[in-house]
Amino acid sequence: MIIEQLPIINLLLFLLMALFIPLLKRKPFKITLILGFVVLGLVFISSVYLLWYVNNVGIIIYTFGGFEARFGIEFVVDPFSALFTTIIAILAAIIYIYSSGDATDGIEKTEYGRYYILLFLLLMSMFGILYTNDIFNTYVFIEILSITTCAIISIKKKKDTYTSAFRYLMMNELGSLSYLIGVALIYMATGYTNITLIGESMSNAFQAYQLNIVIALGFMIIGLGIKAAVFPFHIWLPDAHSSAPSTSSAILSAIVIKVYILVFVKVLFRVFNLEILNEMSISTILLILAGVGMIMGSVFAIAQKDVKRMLGYSSVAQMGYILLGIGLLSFEGLRAAFFHILSHGLMKTALFLSVGEIIFYKKTRKVNDFDGLGFIMPVAMGVFSIAALGMIGLPLTSGFISKLNLGMAVLDKNQTIFLVILIISSLLNVIYYLPIIISAFLKNEKYHYRLESIEKTPRTMIAPLILLGLLIIVVGIFPNQIMVFIESAVRSVMP
Amino acid sequence: MNDIIIKNITRIVIPFAQIYGIFVILNGHVSPGGGFAGGAIIGTSLILYTLVFGREKGRKKFSHKASEIAETGGILIYVIVGLIGLVVAGRFLTNLGAGFPEGVIGNIISGGMIPILMIGIGIKVASTMISLFNLLIDEAI
Repeated sequence: MIIEQLPIINLLLFLLMALFIPLLKRKPFKITLILGFVVLGLVFISSVYLLWYVNNVGIIIYTFGGFEARFGIEFVVDPFSALFTTIIAILAAIIYIYSSGDATDGIEKTEYGRYYILLFLLLMSMFGILYTNDIFNTYVFIEILSITTCAIISIKKKKDTYTSAFRYLMMNELGSLSYLIGVALIYMATGYTNITLIGESMSNAFQAYQLNIVIALGFMIIGLGIKAAVFPFHIWLPDAHSSAPSTSSAILSAIVIKVYILVFVKVLFRVFNLEILNEMSISTILLILAGVGMIMGSVFAIAQKDVKRMLGYSSVAQMGYILLGIGLLSFEGLRAAFFHILSHGLMKTALFLSVGEIIFYKKTRKVNDFDGLGFIMPVAMGVFSIAALGMIGLPLTSGFISKLNLGMAVLDKNQTIFLVILIISSLLNVIYYLPIIISAFLKNEKYHYRLESIEKTPRTMIAPLILLGLLIIVVGIFPNQIMVFIESAVRSVMP
Repeated sequence: MNDIIIKNITRIVIPFAQIYGIFVILNGHVSPGGGFAGGAIIGTSLILYTLVFGREKGRKKFSHKASEIAETGGILIYVIVGLIGLVVAGRFLTNLGAGFPEGVIGNIISGGMIPILMIGIGIKVASTMISLFNLLIDEAI
């Protein structure tokens, strides 16, 4: 009985937390921080419990107001949504701890409260997107997510953040509207917005209204492609992610774009089914987009001088990896994609947070200024190196496991060309990550006098970094424990 | 704006506009309109007041703190009504099953919790409109 209520209680906790922050404005800020941490902790516990429950007992179906699913809104907690909400809760908690160590760089003191309001609304909408089983409700949550994301990007009151926030808003509204048109066309053809019911009636609808379904699929792929920064639609991402504060870059790059790709998975495999996808040879289109993205994202990243822009382009390339796994439309491919969502989430969070600490103390974002940083900030640079080596795909890191799985999945489908692209992309990763590590640990700092000026880093910033570094290695060494959950998630998406 | 005609007309119009807004909110479940439309009408009347009498007087009538509380309160009403459904009937936002009175169809007090939700939405929309407007004014100065 009470377990069924947990998903809505998770959402309400986030919403109420966001509501109470403005009322706590006149109290010391510490109270807000502690309360937020309690909320995140509770949600984390309930997500983990839900993950255990759905894997061992059974899935949870929750309809609002007691209406049946075809009239009302339905939440479904299955291994898929439970797994990814848990991952989001873990990453969000880590980023939250880090951001409490006053590293929310560039944000004015008066804006702190607003930043956390936006953060909790962001988390609420992401949990909602994953739990809901209704494509129109997904659209509503997507709108909340894009508006809060836009506000979080523009929270630093500077000219360039406004430009990138505006570009983000324009591109993402196009994406949202394309998705909405897709929803409308599907509703026209099937008469439902509930994903389960659409899935049941999709084969008949495809016979009767073929044009509708084809156009709807096209609109949805483009719309969600824009939002997930799949290669040709990625132009908003590097600006937005590099101009936002480091903690929110971590959230945007590690979690938010993944949520859109998860909606994409839901749409492909639950709303449409494999027969329709095969008939329209969606696989080829997705694979080509993924292949181009993997190469071009890395090539653009090499050309960047600003570290955060480089990480942004690297995210574009990594989205290509995930899309490659999805585009294979096979069990192994989806498993690799899901694993990469987890491992990229961990690695990108680690990269952005360690870079955030470096920017916070060194006030530089240039790749060339990283000389000798390994001696001044051993923890930050150490975690950066672990995560960067993971990005390259060296063994013992989680990146290796996801690339291994991806390579096996590609070979299973006899798409050898994409194995070549995967290897080339990894080599390109080496070109832009390795020089940073080498110059940080093997060169001397250009300005020695700055050595003294680095103060002691707060423990709240160091601890999350170490935790992330450990998690990357632990996931890389013991992937099987997590693979169990990922495989059951894949099975629940792809019957 | 220092025009005596505008000031006096505004004084006369605002109460009617606000009463109309309240009417639209309360009749949301039996006629066209509802929380959003009615809240927008009330919000517009507050904007009109600020436009005619200036930012300072407007702030006195509806301060920033009041709008903060109203915005939070509007959603809180919604959440609390939803939670009543959760506690009593086991589903979030349960209407009649949670003991809200059904009433006679067509009356103001009918439709269970929907009028209460409409009031919450109305408060939220009205305060959001006026605080957005104030933010834009402050930005320009």
